[in-house]
Amino acid sequence: MGMPIVVAARDGEVPDEVFDWFRHVDETFSTFKEESEVSRIRRGGLALEDASAEVQRVFARCEELREETRGFFDVEALGLDPSGFVKGWSVDEAAAILERAGLEEYAINAGGDIRTSGHWTIGIQHPLDAQAIAKVVEGDDLALATSGAYERGEHVRDPHTGVAPQGVLSVTVTGPDLGTADAYATAAFAMGARRGPAWTARLRGYEAMTILADGRVLSTPGFPAA
Amino acid sequence: MQTKLVAAIGAVAVALPVANATAAVKKKVSTVTKTITGPQAVADRWGYVEVVLTVKKTTTTTGTRKKVTRTITNVSVPVYPNHTDRSVFINQQAIPLLTQEVLTTTKFNPNIQLVGGATATSYAFAQSLQAALLKAKSI
Repeated sequence: MGMPIVVAARDGEVPDEVFDWFRHVDETFSTFKEESEVSRIRRGGLALEDASAEVQRVFARCEELREETRGFFDVEALGLDPSGFVKGWSVDEAAAILERAGLEEYAINAGGDIRTSGHWTIGIQHPLDAQAIAKVVEGDDLALATSGAYERGEHVRDPHTGVAPQGVLSVTVTGPDLGTADAYATAAFAMGARRGPAWTARLRGYEAMTILADGRVLSTPGFPAA
Repeated sequence: MQTKLVAAIGAVAVALPVANATAAVKKKVSTVTKTITGPQAVADRWGYVEVVLTVKKTTTTTGTRKKVTRTITNVSVPVYPNHTDRSVFINQQAIPLLTQEVLTTTKFNPNIQLVGGATATSYAFAQSLQAALLKAKSI
């Protein structure tokens, strides 16, 4: 996945199993490793039906998310690249490992996507100033994903038009599931300034904050801002 | 299905005032307010649109003359797709459900334990900062 992952626990040792898990995810899902299952699927060397059950489940969930996001989160449009979901999903699975190890006070940060258990205070990076914070979020048991133009250049595009969205600097989504929050943030960002915020207002169980290029910040009523 | 949409728009035209007032000896005014639900119309492949109009009908009777005025007092769209440009206008109705504020720039403070965001351009910064914050917490 090519990103730093930080796992912190307040009430015990972080088991090595968590890092073994992330290494396994990287081996299986990396689009940069030629021999990963996903790379083989992408170049047609492996049919999805012949992939491992885990990979099939991930693609099945991505297909559900495509429908939930009205086509704005579309792994097929990206040449079968599920990375936008895998990052969050792998953190959700890592959280389950920590839970099984008996931890209740922990945080996992995978390249800016965060999942916590217990009470944590999270700063959301300012989209225009990497050394500052745009918002402080505080709460218990959070999953928080952000999609933004500053992430990897203008890498999020509207899959319907192929055009990078205008007017949005970043979308942060919180909710119970980080994989889903990640896909929703990507979709809302791709929808652009006119459609994205309105769409987030109707999400069930998930809250969102959209930072627009004109300096407005639009949040759903339940967004856990401190 | 296209025709049903036209029908809903037609209802708007009907609701325009139809007569002018004239002076009268005896005047009786009555009003009725009704809501009219249009049919669910398919908007391309994206879903359905349903329009509900609230129409106030005012009947003024002057002698034997009747004057009827219909005014649309409310338009709501309980069912709508989320994907067409046409629906953008409707979707903007959802924006009042969002709280709006001005983007601010805050400095990091010791209470912040984690840094979230789309961090790729500043991995090193965010990570080292976060490590520092976590360390600061354990002092």
